[in-house]
Amino acid sequence: MGQRLSGAAVLLAAAFAASAATAQAPGVTADTIKIGTFGALTGPGYLYGKLPMNGVEVVFDEINRAGGINGRKLQLVREDDRCDPTAAIGAVKKLVEQDQVFAIIGGGCSNATFAAKDTLEASKVPTLIFASVHDGITIPPAANIFSTATTSTIESQAQLAYAVEQGAKKIAIVSMRDSWGRARYTPLIEAFKAKNIKPVADEELSPDANDATAQVLRLKAAGADAVLLLLYPKPAAIFIRDAQKLGFKPLSLGQTGIADPAAFEEQVGVPGATANFRTISQVRYTPEDPKMDKWRKLVEAKFPGDRLSVYNLFGIGSAEVLVEALKRAGKDLTREKMTDALANLKDVNTEVYAAPITCSATDHRCNKGPAWMAKEPGGPIKVLGFTVVGQ
Amino acid sequence: MLLFSYLLMSGVTTGALYALVALGIVVVNKATGVINFAQGEFFMFTGFVGWMLHVQFGMNYPLSFLLAVAVGFVLGMLTDRIAFRPIAKSDIVSLVLATVGIGFILKGLARVIWGGKADYLSFPPITSPDPIMVGPVMVIPQQLAVLAGTVIIMLVFAAFFRLTRAGKMMQATADNSRAALLVGIRTDRIYTLAFGTGAAIAAAAAVLTAPLTLLYPDIGFAFFLKGFAAAVLGGLTSLPGAVLGGLIVGVAESLAGGYIHSSVMELSPFLVIMVVLVLRPSGLLSFRKARRI
Repeated sequence: MGQRLSGAAVLLAAAFAASAATAQAPGVTADTIKIGTFGALTGPGYLYGKLPMNGVEVVFDEINRAGGINGRKLQLVREDDRCDPTAAIGAVKKLVEQDQVFAIIGGGCSNATFAAKDTLEASKVPTLIFASVHDGITIPPAANIFSTATTSTIESQAQLAYAVEQGAKKIAIVSMRDSWGRARYTPLIEAFKAKNIKPVADEELSPDANDATAQVLRLKAAGADAVLLLLYPKPAAIFIRDAQKLGFKPLSLGQTGIADPAAFEEQVGVPGATANFRTISQVRYTPEDPKMDKWRKLVEAKFPGDRLSVYNLFGIGSAEVLVEALKRAGKDLTREKMTDALANLKDVNTEVYAAPITCSATDHRCNKGPAWMAKEPGGPIKVLGFTVVGQ
Repeated sequence: MLLFSYLLMSGVTTGALYALVALGIVVVNKATGVINFAQGEFFMFTGFVGWMLHVQFGMNYPLSFLLAVAVGFVLGMLTDRIAFRPIAKSDIVSLVLATVGIGFILKGLARVIWGGKADYLSFPPITSPDPIMVGPVMVIPQQLAVLAGTVIIMLVFAAFFRLTRAGKMMQATADNSRAALLVGIRTDRIYTLAFGTGAAIAAAAAVLTAPLTLLYPDIGFAFFLKGFAAAVLGGLTSLPGAVLGGLIVGVAESLAGGYIHSSVMELSPFLVIMVVLVLRPSGLLSFRKARRI
């Protein structure tokens, strides 16, 4: 009788221990790890949501094909936030409370992800942002939220650093002053002050502008040899078109708001006008690069009708970082171990990012090496190099 | 002087875009007495239709232009029949809100049909993209095409209102709809015609200007705002007034941007409007009719 009782006690203790372990790591079973993702699956913002998610999914497929992480296969659970702040909060709550995911990789549109920050932070679910660039998502840092997207401050600093590196002496700014533009303009002005440089001209251009003659003439009069564009593709295209019209050909530097130089050349629509235009990419390869053949085949096989895009690469790079952190967190997964693993990533090389990924306990902006791309008029897109800032 | 020439030319070409939108607003207002807040969305939607015909279906530009104008005309008439006529006897606020609702529907439809193709869609220019010299000033030929198009559209509609039976009936309905009804004019048809005509003008404006300004679903409101400002400046019922208003708004923007700072560009046309309306509340070219007793 005593032996039976002690046997039952051992069984109970084992069952309790097992349930306790499960409770410590929601979304983790003996053979699976459930990872959540949120972003726009529908509407124009799908570029920053659905496409990176597709990239994440092909990385997970590759990991699962190789046996998973510590014997556990990765499962991706998608939620649509439609680029809408309220929907993003709902999507995160559903992933955390209903789907009980272990970790989250996602965040497309900045305004939606920023709105969900408090919900993400309160959930303590380890989170890696793959596309949203808003500084407020990672500054001040929430213990569990990290980002592999180049944030707006990093991009602004990189624009100035690159202009100086290229020998520009008279640097001008043309910016939008809506919330998107201000998130880039304010850190850019701080970067100017830090380098003890004064912009020779500081002009505004509306997101809906149809003409930039006045701005171009003022910049030309100031003798600017480099122009930092804090603009969406439309006003930037109008500016470049009018600059060409007026024979003003400075080095023009964009940012990830103008992520596709080929589309931009078409939007400008004047042959040769984009010859001095460079823009930032979060990743170091174009989708056409032979080094991306592997991913092209995987994406196009899994999602028939899709062509590999730069937005898929955002997801691929971020997923590689997440996988590395999962490996480092060990077999006995807990959210705390995963968060620690993310915070201690140092010089992690991926197949797509320009610079190694480094996070720390105090700085959760893990990608500080934006790449520079240019497209020769009528020619291919080339990656010119990368600028490491903010370290 | 060269700076002034450039700014003036830039203001005139931008103002021509605003004038085209203002013309559509004035045509509807002349006949129905209602400001069509969906005019910007008619512009956006028919611009996308023109893009689809020209770029996706490969039709030549003149045919795409004519078909887009026809689609605009039908769209405007349908809008009147479906959304406007059922509440035609309602108060003015309800009627204006109906046009706001139509705008939202058109924007939503555009997102569904053309969303997800790119962030901004470019429309190939109908002229050479290389700038040319006009006197001492460099211009893009497409800008001249817009200017010419504005003048032609204005002349066509001036002739329509003065020389055609339909145009005269629209004028009569606008002057006094009850009297027009008493003399046998079917005012409901006139309203339908006005909405169709307004949307057709928006379509002509959109397909003319699309090569100068990229297409996206939110493009309509910004154009409406400037077009509305131009129409108010011109007196809301005057076609030449709408054109003059558009040119003043465009030139005010450009000169303020060039001589003061680009940050005042968006503000300057509205300051001009405030001044004009204080001095001349009925607008620049709207005259109160004298009645003989």
